[in-house]
Amino acid sequence: MTRRSIALATAAGAAAILAVVMHAPRLRAQPAPPLPVHQVPVSKNGGTVVMLCDGKTSVEVKGLKPGESMPHAQAVEIARQLMAQWQREHPSEKWEMAQQEHQTDQSPQPVPAPSAASGAGTAAAKPTGAKLQSKGTQQGDTYASFTDRDYKVWKNETDNFVAQGNQLFHDGAAVGGTIGVSCDMCHPDGSNTHPETYPKYQVQLQRVALLRDMIDWCIENPLKGKALDPNDTRLRALEAYILAQRKGVALDYGKH
Amino acid sequence: MKPARTLLFSILAATVVVASFTLAGAQGPGPIADPKSEKQAGFPADLYSWVIPPDNPQTPAKIALGKALFFDDRLSADGKISCDHCHAPAKGFTDQLPTSMGIRAQFGQRNAPTVLNALFNVTQFWDGRAPSLEAQVQGPVTNPVEMGMKSTDDAVAKVKAIPEYGKQFQDVFGHDVTFADIERAIAAYERTQLAFDSPFDKFIAGDPSAISDSAKRGWSIFNGKGRCMSCHAWNPTQPLFTDQKFHNIGVSAHNANFVPLARKALDTLSQSGGNAEEIDKLAIGTDMSGLGRFLVTKQPHDIGAFRTMSLRNLLVTQPYFHDGSQVTLWDTIDHYNKGGVQNPYLDGGIVPLGLSEAEEDDLVAFLASLTSPEYADAAKQEYDLQFKRSRTNRPQRDTAAANGDNGRGPGLAGPFGDIGPPQTDENPALLGGD
Repeated sequence: MTRRSIALATAAGAAAILAVVMHAPRLRAQPAPPLPVHQVPVSKNGGTVVMLCDGKTSVEVKGLKPGESMPHAQAVEIARQLMAQWQREHPSEKWEMAQQEHQTDQSPQPVPAPSAASGAGTAAAKPTGAKLQSKGTQQGDTYASFTDRDYKVWKNETDNFVAQGNQLFHDGAAVGGTIGVSCDMCHPDGSNTHPETYPKYQVQLQRVALLRDMIDWCIENPLKGKALDPNDTRLRALEAYILAQRKGVALDYGKH
Repeated sequence: MKPARTLLFSILAATVVVASFTLAGAQGPGPIADPKSEKQAGFPADLYSWVIPPDNPQTPAKIALGKALFFDDRLSADGKISCDHCHAPAKGFTDQLPTSMGIRAQFGQRNAPTVLNALFNVTQFWDGRAPSLEAQVQGPVTNPVEMGMKSTDDAVAKVKAIPEYGKQFQDVFGHDVTFADIERAIAAYERTQLAFDSPFDKFIAGDPSAISDSAKRGWSIFNGKGRCMSCHAWNPTQPLFTDQKFHNIGVSAHNANFVPLARKALDTLSQSGGNAEEIDKLAIGTDMSGLGRFLVTKQPHDIGAFRTMSLRNLLVTQPYFHDGSQVTLWDTIDHYNKGGVQNPYLDGGIVPLGLSEAEEDDLVAFLASLTSPEYADAAKQEYDLQFKRSRTNRPQRDTAAANGDNGRGPGLAGPFGDIGPPQTDENPALLGGD
């Protein structure tokens, strides 16, 4: 900031100072510009060119006509060839495995209720009155007290959502893939998806990308599907699964 | 009416045998009282596995015994009031009265909650004063305005004197009658009343034609503008439309002046020691009933707070709220739409909603879609009655308050009634006092 600008700002008052010192432009509500679409080279002899998500590495599947899907074994082989080619070209890249062991559950434990009375009644003779105390229920303010049931329900819902993502991750057609390739063929168990590094600048897109942008990118190449709507449950479930596979890894946005 | 499916054929068989010689009525409660199948759309298998207590497993013989006790008038002091007196299967396991009528035609202060899906409640009663279905049993049996037994010992003695029960208790529990076992058997029967399989459950399971377009719009309002989902929480793991918590929605504020009433309750409870029977009596038999959860916790934030009820089968469990003060689902929604009734303990989530009458119609259509198949016919009749009434009679509808047009913005509208200081726009911290 120049001395001149400070002088101006002082004269104009506090509101103007804010305007001058703000570095980042204020984001207004507007749709993001469309993501670039890579044109996959046309096959010379009527096959299909499958491209890796880097937008460069590609393999041609001979005889696979547009609209045709490969058998699972062939799709796995194509994915293997793409990955092998990519690794030959990037010998120094480290392939990050998915978290091998899930960390133990770290969800907060509810404070045990002071009453030890069990409603099921373990003894025939019970002191009158002791049993009508409420156990495991709202002890404090309504919106700040949760029971062990609440935590169990939340965990169950979250685990089910992640399990749905796991299924989609292993089923290319279910996310709109057209040629039999699925996410797990290049990323077994979610390996090398590094969700903890987003947002980050992605050269393929020439912009700061979110994890979901890259999921969409991979659905377009190499699954040869169409990008999913941001509100599509399938996109959300895939994102949930990929993140869950890296539970416990520190966030490190922008990392390459 | 579609016959209810049974959990196991043996349960049905045992039930028929027991019912044949213990029921006072000649016909018995019929198939609508039978244990329900788990094969229902929307049945929450995970939740079910969590809520069956390990020390009271479900067995056909125990369920049959519990069913016999549930329908046996002899559990009451005058031999005229059984559980189903207020929890009648054909009426959605309620009595369809504003508040229940117990022994010697005495009325209590609370609306009978349904037994349907009660096994999934974290707590029982409107104020959650019982932690389980077992613990719930004693309340009505010994309450002087419900079944009126002097003590649980009296109840045990009375059951012991009935010859056919002796062998059954021996077979099921391996010893003579105890009150804890009466509780276990009745709770086991109540745990068979699963109520899902509604058109909404089929809609969620993937049948888009299972509910009407109006109900679909209602489901959307339920999740959005109506803010219903905040407390009437639904998810596949716990698809009950309740957060299992307690909220002051301003129902008691119709007729209760909370602050002096709360002081009186604290005095009464400190003199008596405040045991469970005392709380039960205050809740059912006195004007302190309106204090709700406060009687149990004695926490000011629980004044006038009642448990969020499930929304399933609402069209056979009318009228509504803890005091049965609302006649139709339209009245009930009108109450929320105007932001409840203002009082110092009103839940922060209760604000004017600005729902149009058409939007309320959609919400009711959605609620109607939560009806289980065995109640479809009864619910349709009740819907027609309520619909007709709602076209001309809307005592709770306050469009100005709902739209925040009472001189204040949404969230502050509504009369303050006779409770607390007059509402102003000034900072309450600066209003003075000491």
